[in-house]
Amino acid sequence: MTATKRDISQVLDKDEADSTQTVPKKVQNTKENQNPDSEDDNEEDEDEDEEEHTHKGKKVSSNTASYDIHVARETAELFQSNIFKLQIDELVQQVQVNDKHILKVEKFLHRLYDLIQQVPDWEQHSITDVLAYFKDKSVAIPFVDPKPAPASTNYKFNYLAPDVSLIGSFALKTGIYQPQGSSIDVLLTMPKEMFEKKDFLNLRCLHKRSVYLAYLTHHLSELLLKEGLGDLLAVEYAYFHDNPMIPILKIKCREDAPRSHELNFYKTKFSINLIVGFPYKIFESKKLLPNRNCIRIAQEDPEVPLPLTSLYNFSVLSTSTFEPYLKFLYKCKKQTESFREASILGRLWLQQRGFSSKISQSGGLGGFGNFEFTTLMAVLLNGGGENGNKILLHGFSSYQLFKGVIKYLATMDLCTEGHLQFHSDITYTSAVSKYMPEGFQTPTIFDKSTKINILSQLSVNAYNMLKMYARETLAMLNNVVQDQFANIFLTNISKSDQLKFDLCYDLKFPRNGSIESDLLSKFTAAERIKYITVENFIVHKVISVLKYALNDRISNLEVELIGHRSTFPITKRRPHAATPGHQFNFESIRVKLLINQEEAEKLITKGPKHSDSPSHEAVLFKGFWGPKSSLRRFKDGSITHCCLWTSSSSEPVISSIIPFAIHRHISENLVIDNNITKMFQSLLPLPNIAASSKTSVLNLSSFYTLKKSFDDLYKVIFQMKLPLSVKSILPVDTAFRYTSLTQPVPFAYSDPKFFQNIILEFETSQKWPDEITSLEKAKTAFLLKIEEQLSAEHGSKYKSFFTRDESIPYNLDVTTLNVLTPEGYGFKFRILTERDEVLYLRAISNARNDIKPALENTFLQFTSNYLASIRHTRTIENISHSYQFYSPVVRLFKKWLDCHLLMGHLKDELVELIAMKPFTDHYPYSMPGSVENGFLKILKFLSQWNWKDDPLILDLVKPDSAYEDQMEVSIGGSEIDSSTMKKLSEKLTLVQYKSIQSNFRNLRKNDPNGLHLQFFVASKNDPSGILYSSGIPLAIATRLTALAKVAVNLIQTHGLSKQTINLLFAPGLKDYDFVIRLKIPNKLKVSSGIITETEFKNLANADAPTEFPADLDRLSEKMDPTFHLVKYLNMKYKNSMIFSSHRYIGVNGNNEGSENVVTGLIKPMFKKQMKFKVNMDCDAKPLDAETVVLNKESIYHEIAAFSNELIGKFEIQ
Amino acid sequence: MSDSETTSKRVSSMKNGFLVLPFRQPKSKVLPSKTASYHYVYAKMHSSKNEGEQNCIFVVNLPMLANTESCKSAINAICEKYDTVSHLESLVHSDEFGLGEVDLSALTSDLMTNTEDAAEKRFTPRNTALLKFVDKASASNCLSALRKYSSASKSSIIEWEYTSPSIQTFLNYYKPLNIEYLKEDVHTHLSIFEQREQQAQEDVQSSIVDEDGFTLVVGKNTKNLNSIRKKILNRNPLLKNSGEGVEKPQTAVDKKAKRDFYRFQVRERKKQEINELLSKFKEDQERIKVMKEKKKFNPYKNSL
Repeated sequence: MTATKRDISQVLDKDEADSTQTVPKKVQNTKENQNPDSEDDNEEDEDEDEEEHTHKGKKVSSNTASYDIHVARETAELFQSNIFKLQIDELVQQVQVNDKHILKVEKFLHRLYDLIQQVPDWEQHSITDVLAYFKDKSVAIPFVDPKPAPASTNYKFNYLAPDVSLIGSFALKTGIYQPQGSSIDVLLTMPKEMFEKKDFLNLRCLHKRSVYLAYLTHHLSELLLKEGLGDLLAVEYAYFHDNPMIPILKIKCREDAPRSHELNFYKTKFSINLIVGFPYKIFESKKLLPNRNCIRIAQEDPEVPLPLTSLYNFSVLSTSTFEPYLKFLYKCKKQTESFREASILGRLWLQQRGFSSKISQSGGLGGFGNFEFTTLMAVLLNGGGENGNKILLHGFSSYQLFKGVIKYLATMDLCTEGHLQFHSDITYTSAVSKYMPEGFQTPTIFDKSTKINILSQLSVNAYNMLKMYARETLAMLNNVVQDQFANIFLTNISKSDQLKFDLCYDLKFPRNGSIESDLLSKFTAAERIKYITVENFIVHKVISVLKYALNDRISNLEVELIGHRSTFPITKRRPHAATPGHQFNFESIRVKLLINQEEAEKLITKGPKHSDSPSHEAVLFKGFWGPKSSLRRFKDGSITHCCLWTSSSSEPVISSIIPFAIHRHISENLVIDNNITKMFQSLLPLPNIAASSKTSVLNLSSFYTLKKSFDDLYKVIFQMKLPLSVKSILPVDTAFRYTSLTQPVPFAYSDPKFFQNIILEFETSQKWPDEITSLEKAKTAFLLKIEEQLSAEHGSKYKSFFTRDESIPYNLDVTTLNVLTPEGYGFKFRILTERDEVLYLRAISNARNDIKPALENTFLQFTSNYLASIRHTRTIENISHSYQFYSPVVRLFKKWLDCHLLMGHLKDELVELIAMKPFTDHYPYSMPGSVENGFLKILKFLSQWNWKDDPLILDLVKPDSAYEDQMEVSIGGSEIDSSTMKKLSEKLTLVQYKSIQSNFRNLRKNDPNGLHLQFFVASKNDPSGILYSSGIPLAIATRLTALAKVAVNLIQTHGLSKQTINLLFAPGLKDYDFVIRLKIPNKLKVSSGIITETEFKNLANADAPTEFPADLDRLSEKMDPTFHLVKYLNMKYKNSMIFSSHRYIGVNGNNEGSENVVTGLIKPMFKKQMKFKVNMDCDAKPLDAETVVLNKESIYHEIAAFSNELIGKFEIQ
Repeated sequence: MSDSETTSKRVSSMKNGFLVLPFRQPKSKVLPSKTASYHYVYAKMHSSKNEGEQNCIFVVNLPMLANTESCKSAINAICEKYDTVSHLESLVHSDEFGLGEVDLSALTSDLMTNTEDAAEKRFTPRNTALLKFVDKASASNCLSALRKYSSASKSSIIEWEYTSPSIQTFLNYYKPLNIEYLKEDVHTHLSIFEQREQQAQEDVQSSIVDEDGFTLVVGKNTKNLNSIRKKILNRNPLLKNSGEGVEKPQTAVDKKAKRDFYRFQVRERKKQEINELLSKFKEDQERIKVMKEKKKFNPYKNSL
């Protein structure tokens, strides 16, 4: 440990000699450990000059108002808000490393240091000697491919005692607690004498290091045994940051190690990485610049320049610069109060998004971990602007530092348009960091002192992901209305690929190994020096093929090697193949896509324009697509190279492009698997319309046809001459907002949503009767007039009839005019007058107290059906154009709800609002871009949302990504723009948001546990939050949450597969008290407009109605009788039981749509004995002269008698 | 199914005087039927000052879809058993499905309610009804028969016959209304309404002038009076929870008044600001405390 100390103190000696002194003793060292931490805690947020004063204040009485005022004021300025600062404080405390653990592991580190010093030096040996030496040893040399050939290797290998020091976040004390454990990086620097000037060439220094590491490992393991530490520790080789050019030794404490051992540090979960580094500046760094070649290979044509070996160059250089970077960061940390806290925030932010320092060339999101984040922060503290102006200041709070870095990442391009330049040399005081407007097509933060691009391990692809997350986070940080803290720091979004990405494809290798040899043959020497490993090469190839093939259909992608290993036993030279007989270090490749909703489903991949002499692009295009490419003439007359794809109801277009491109360019025999998407899309009921199986899920044409039919009818009615002229005819039903469970199909009148509600308003009149029954009769009179004219003037086209409407409780006089259009659709007209609302309110005010709640409910029903539905339909229709997947997702969600018998209890509007949550409020994830992604996010949301404590407040606006881009730029960009943009947006303002929150609080004051109303769902359209959710029984509300929890749990433990998806959609009937199976004589599936799955599609669906019956009485024959049965059961037993059933019998009632199931739930109150009372309102049998109990048998008999003709089976649980 | 039989002997009347009348239920083809199951109706003589409710028996928990006919046949069967005669006139106030629980019309206007009824609005709890008999003798005959029946042996319990709705019954709800009937109905209703409105208008015109010489012209349900309208609007359940936010609109004087003219105004304002800041800060601290207790700050939660 002394070495470690020496290292840090060296820095201090130079820069801050006054503040700290060299502390070579162990005891003092540990003290030092605690000190900075505790200091940090106290000082965290105060400005330097105020520090003294506040400290005193805190000591005297930290509760004084003045102190609080001081803190409150300061945080309001330095942080986004008080609550944000308090949250940061809590979080930082939460992830603090346990001091005891540090002490424990340090004890071991000291011992380790002593052991390393005991490893004997080794003289120079030739490669043959080295191989002979290790031949009978159990330790293998972890050579980098290709290993040195004895014939051509004329340099010598040896071992001299290293210089040992601590590096990384443990040394910097910016580490945090991680449940899976953290690693401590110990650097062993090889002495200068071991190298020659040209050792950086041709892997020479790497081989020297491999031998060095093997020698050390061999002796260290022997020493461990000798010292009796053999059963305490486990050692294995690993690749540092997954980089196969940097093998390291990993030391862990064994799980079965004796607990009593004083050095046992198993509980601390720390592991120790012994990293062998090169001495700083041992090689001429200029020669190792990213644009140099340092691995010479034989080439046929000497004129052709050798390929660049930037990854190799980086791997060599970066292992010689650990110490200078530690000093650089340490200095910065000392100068900047909140550096530590901000770096913890950065680390968490990256972790939650799946980023790490691991090399991203071999797949995954790597190349940007805590080191890169803190370095960038340090760089920006020294400049970073175009003129070297400082982006961050030393006095910034942790929030400001974090936001500054995020903003820089989000808004500055470090790849194509420019790069960042800095000096890590702390002695060079006048050095400033600068943004240079010159891009290298690879993310670049270039260190002029070491000649290293610290982003060398960050692939362009991973950089794009990083930038996207930074942009989203910036938007979250700028959101002053909602609290985004949890979304930024607390949610780990990489737990499930299906939630993080829209589409996932698994590329699997067949067992026979044919593909591997094929791929290996493509991995030439030139490729090898560029990519080093075949895995990197394959990843690169897959990414470039997919990027070209998918182009703007996707916004981002990630390729992950499944089963990739980066640790291996010390007896092996390199990681084993995951499966025996397999040559690669992975099992399969997973491609994960974030799609671009606008472009993903387009049928044509447009290439370059056709010209007489083929352009380079055209040749490339034709070469890439081969037989798929063709020439097409477009409307504007241009002739272009194109590929044509076909859409499908069960698969996105991308699913046909990927196999084509992969098979053509990677390997014919790769198996490409994406059954999940297919299964989810196939769950959506397929409409009985021509070519529906070839229609994309995003295609809304069936809805448009219905709208067109409505528009025609609209014109007819608008032109009618009526006693009052028509003011408006507004559609208020699901098909008009693309959310109906089944798509509109002509003449499919068995569908419960076949008749779409329309609200008709006349010009204002004072003459409407001032009494509700008469008002409804007067409305009917108007509808009769319309009906008269319609049948007189358009009788040949339109048919119409009247029905009673029961949508408003206790108002038994509402009638609707149902119109059937010649196109095969049905519309249900009802009239709204300005008198209605007043009358319903008057009824509440005149009613005696005990029936007031019932009347309030009546009023809510009226408002939601007649008034709010207009706004709701308009809003959803409007914004769903921007959320392309909303329609299929909400329809699948409705199917799921109906599957579980809940749809009958929930209003469509409520369901639609809940389903909107992952779209309008998608942070920290991206907006859903596939059916399964959206659906799973709804389930996840429902499973985690606490309705009791949290109001769901939706901001029903289109996504604002369009103008958010221009809003803020780190450099330049005018403030006026952003403020006007904010004004123009229709987003909820803080005041509106707060008032909704206060509505919620007031509601919960009277009903703290939400017994009367669970779901509070508010938006600008309904700030009260109760409009659609009042009246939902508690049992149903909690069942929804419980079902979602079960579903998420299932997915979490068993993953997504055919079985689990089927289980998701299997109703759990066991939870009910009794189940009644109903059978109806008619098959309603086909007449609900859904295609039945048979071999002969045309035959099976031939009996679908193609016209309305001449006698409209006969319409009822194909309607669902079970709906009214359940409705009456619920009315009769309202007080004591809840009945549920499938509302969409054509979708969820067996294959033909001829079965339904009714379940009954006895309310808990009625499961025990009760006092006999006249108003107990339940069927009870007497136990004695005072007590009674619910007479279940009698009720069952009554129900059986009531559903006599329909009942198939009565199951009592 | 059989616990009532095994645990105790039958309860024939409740403490508060209700007779317990068991009816055997017909066997169902879909339900297990080891033993018979019974439906229990509770009955008591009804006493009311109401003219229309004399000679009534108050019953609780009638079987499903009970109507005058089915009650009649059950009563006749029981009376026959005990050699007595009783004439049921009708079953009243039976509202099995709760359709008429609330009379919206009466609550919005008194025009359409029958004046005699309006004075004596009655409230029948759900799942109860009245059996109205032709005369007092019938009612008391019936009650005494019922009393005997309530404690009769098991074998003499009669079976209740249910009338089951058919599929067609349910489907009929989807059928179009008869247009001619609808027209007729609307026409008659509206003409009655107009007539009554007219009448009410005239009544108001001729209403008595009070002591001060004022004529009362508005009822509680008048449509055009602002104060009443406001009172009604306050009833909106959607606004129930938004207590705050109703601020008085600024008057012209308020707008003109300077707020930083006197030094005390500035001082007060600053003080207020700081107090607000402080209270918010305290509030935030509380919130954090609550969140902390709920373990809301764990970045390593183990769910999806």
